[in-house]
Amino acid sequence: MKQRALWLAVLIGSLALTGCGSASSRKSSTSGSAGKLVVWDWKSSDKTATNYVAKAKADFAKKHPGTTVEFVAQPFDQYYTLLGAAIQSGKGPDVILFNGGGQLRDRADSLLPLDEYVAPDKSRLAGWDAFSKEGKIYAAPITLQGHPIYYNKTFYSKAGLDPAKPPATWDAMISACAALKKAAGVPCFAQGNKEGYGIQFWMSGMGSSILTPDEYDQWIAGQRDWTSPNVKKIFSLWKEVNDKGLNTTGPNSTAMFMDMYTKFEAGKAANVIGLMSDVGGWHEMNPILGAENLGVMLPPVVTAGTTPSLAYDGGVGYGVAKWTKDPALAADMVRSLTSKDALTAYSADAGAIAADTTVTVTGGGPAAAAITAEIKDGKPALHVALSAKTQEVMGRVSQQLLAGKITVDDGVKQIAASDKG
Amino acid sequence: MPNGDSPLLVRSAPAGRTDEAPAARAPGRPLGERLAPFVLIAPALLIILIFRLWPLLLGVNFSFTGDGEQNGAQVGLGNYAELFDDPVFRIALRNVGLLVLLLPIAVAIPGLLATFIFLKVPGNRFFRSVYFFPAVLSPVIIGAIFNLLLSVDGPLNAVLGFVGLDPVDWLGDSSVAIFSVVGVHIWATFGMGLVVFLSGFATLDPTLLDAARVDGASTPQVIRHVIVPGLSRTIQFVFVTTMIGMLTSMFGLLFVMTGGGPGGSTYLPEFYIWIQQGQMNRPALASAASTVLFLVMLVVGLAQIAILRRGLKEE
Amino acid sequence: MRGSRLGKWVIAVGMAALAIATIYPMLFTVNVAMKTQREYILDRFSLSSGLRWENISTAWESGGMARYFVNSLIVVTGAVVLLLLIGSMAGFALSHLRFRGSRALFLGCLAALFVPFQVIMVPLARTMADTGLIDTYPGLILAYVAQFLPFTIYLMTSYYSRIPSEIVDAARIDGNSPYGVYRRIMLPMGRPALLSVGVLNALFCWNDVLIALLMTPSPERRTLMVGVTSLRGQYTSDIPLFASGVLIAAVPVLVIYLFLQRQIADGVTAGSMKG
Repeated sequence: MKQRALWLAVLIGSLALTGCGSASSRKSSTSGSAGKLVVWDWKSSDKTATNYVAKAKADFAKKHPGTTVEFVAQPFDQYYTLLGAAIQSGKGPDVILFNGGGQLRDRADSLLPLDEYVAPDKSRLAGWDAFSKEGKIYAAPITLQGHPIYYNKTFYSKAGLDPAKPPATWDAMISACAALKKAAGVPCFAQGNKEGYGIQFWMSGMGSSILTPDEYDQWIAGQRDWTSPNVKKIFSLWKEVNDKGLNTTGPNSTAMFMDMYTKFEAGKAANVIGLMSDVGGWHEMNPILGAENLGVMLPPVVTAGTTPSLAYDGGVGYGVAKWTKDPALAADMVRSLTSKDALTAYSADAGAIAADTTVTVTGGGPAAAAITAEIKDGKPALHVALSAKTQEVMGRVSQQLLAGKITVDDGVKQIAASDKG
Repeated sequence: MPNGDSPLLVRSAPAGRTDEAPAARAPGRPLGERLAPFVLIAPALLIILIFRLWPLLLGVNFSFTGDGEQNGAQVGLGNYAELFDDPVFRIALRNVGLLVLLLPIAVAIPGLLATFIFLKVPGNRFFRSVYFFPAVLSPVIIGAIFNLLLSVDGPLNAVLGFVGLDPVDWLGDSSVAIFSVVGVHIWATFGMGLVVFLSGFATLDPTLLDAARVDGASTPQVIRHVIVPGLSRTIQFVFVTTMIGMLTSMFGLLFVMTGGGPGGSTYLPEFYIWIQQGQMNRPALASAASTVLFLVMLVVGLAQIAILRRGLKEE
Repeated sequence: MRGSRLGKWVIAVGMAALAIATIYPMLFTVNVAMKTQREYILDRFSLSSGLRWENISTAWESGGMARYFVNSLIVVTGAVVLLLLIGSMAGFALSHLRFRGSRALFLGCLAALFVPFQVIMVPLARTMADTGLIDTYPGLILAYVAQFLPFTIYLMTSYYSRIPSEIVDAARIDGNSPYGVYRRIMLPMGRPALLSVGVLNALFCWNDVLIALLMTPSPERRTLMVGVTSLRGQYTSDIPLFASGVLIAAVPVLVIYLFLQRQIADGVTAGSMKG
């Protein structure tokens, strides 16, 4: 009896140890079938997206009346986990929504290059960079996403600062912060770094005033010099702002979405680095703070000789799974999802700046107008160029920096190591 | 009447483990009846084998393969090396150690409360039902609620301010965060332990207590010399189940309250597995972490049972 | 033996504080659910301006909670029925039917308790997908059964082993097959344990998020708890709506708890008693 048990154990053990399986399913297919397309995203269940989805479906139906399209909305928190599980188990969707940048690039090997299909849209839409990897396009953008710095004009007036002329240099910013604290009693910045996004927005929001134009362009092109003093400055400034007490309390335990923005909107801080589409931006801030009261500024110059600009890139976009049964069909769906009608609806309902450059934003107040004006001179966001893994390391390091648990040098070294490896 | 020596498997004494059961061995018994035990246990066995054991082995298998481009390729111990190189995984293991150290507290709290309730503290009936209440809620809900309660400008810090203490960033201070999460976990689960202890008290021989009282023993003495020995089985059970709970069901809380932060300080292996599998798209690495977690649980569990057996030797 | 009466009252006060800490979070959630979104943004912790039920009805209708509720109901019922059936059969076999390896099997069952879900979740998802069980009711039910079976078997075995073997022997002598004994003795006599274990399992299945999330990604089959978490999307700033979802999910559990406190408690104790 004992002997038999022993043999059994050995047998099972050796089977287990052969490593002859593969953690990801190799035979993949999609859950779509003939005449049906499955689209995954996290937006289609939002009220603000109903019109958008309807218009996209209508546009698609004109080209392919016989195909049903099923939209599956997943909770965003779990989106990539669920997507990974679905892909690995071979039941992934045909058309997939992605955030631009790391998450898309990491999964590019599961996606179909779309260059040939979306060629006609290339000039109408903007923000392709965030959805490209090694020269190939893997998703078509629907929104542009960027990181303007919002400020509360009422507080500025109260502090005796000209609300129409926000601080242009970092030193001016620091004195403004002091005045704001004194007169309006609010900390300068709303900060929420619980998810590790705070540092991403800081890097992209302030990047153009810290890195020289050359450094900036090289960064985007993939040559990042982590030993450069300006790159280090991004992180040392991040830490310094917190050490000086210029942030709202408890940045590491404040979730950016939505607590950080809630704080700004509730008048608990004077400035915040926000978004230009969807939430965390003018669309939701205007009704609460008043449209005339919401200001937008370019980052104040930190390194002399830099040209501050708006950092923006493709926001979210739809891609096609590599093993979809009918690539042309799925690509057509993507084109319908980026059609002008659909995007106009989305822009109006969700308060997004559409990737369609021919769609104008209505009712966005002075803030949206200011942002739109900056697009032509804007540059891609710095953090979007980093891989998801590096972003995660950076998020963790940033929390440790705020807590004083790591030095800037060590922190940057860790992030650099992840970026290289 | 209960008989038998092990608290776990009880069977009447005759010939212990031999199969000389009179009825089953009588010659001429129909095959169907002789197979009955196996038929009865078959569904359970099948399900556990297919859906628990097999995935476990598969997981070990996967852990020796690669991710992404290396999907399906053998990488030997590469994943494991990467695991132990990863500072976040090391933090996760260190936190496991922390949990094991905190275990006695997690057991003592319901134990003490049960003692007080048993000793008829005023209001004990009310406390009894109220204390079980959190155990009924889902961890996701609990996490969401405590996110609000523990925020820097939240009610808990308000109470602290009331008594003149400084506010604490419960979920944002990396030296405190893991304790906050454990604290919430204990809040959520102590009701279960309480109920178990109370049932144990119900089996306590009241004459022993009376005798101790008559002898003039003080309360702490009664606890140490009468109650603890009398409840040794129960204490063992609570220890084991609490450990399993702490090491495997804190995921929901972690996910909602801290997401593993701040600075990775609240990582636990189960959370690491989830992140690697989903966000980082590294299922093979996640499998390696799973295997490590399983081994850790085995070791800790067995060690615990051994220690408790010895420490609480009652018969 | 008891110290001064003062001591008793001091402890009572401490315990009362703990009791408040136990109930307060739930009351807090109710308060948040009563606020409008704007009210919440302006002050998260103040008392709501009034009793407002719209959030709850919104969550129920457009939040999709109604369908998730039904899904949860179906899955939990299926899982609990199977768990009780299979668990009691196995419990009976392990406690009264002596056979080779029964002890080993029981220990194996205990060992299975030590396997956390995360450890098997990657391969289990693969296995489920390969057999086409992802996103189906049976698939999720099986996953739950697999998850809670060891616990159920443990409790049922413990409980059944306290039934004297003489009763079983007597029934056998009367000419009953083991199946008959199971039907006529084990099931009826096991009723208290079955009820308690059933309620506990229902609780665990209802509250689960992880397994459901992995096994049923699509909205049609989504369970209630997963639905509640999806109320907090990346960009959702409607926390009062989320709180309403939380309440919807918690209310059935609370109701069951209030009525079946006794049984739940007994279920937990069934396995911990001596012998």
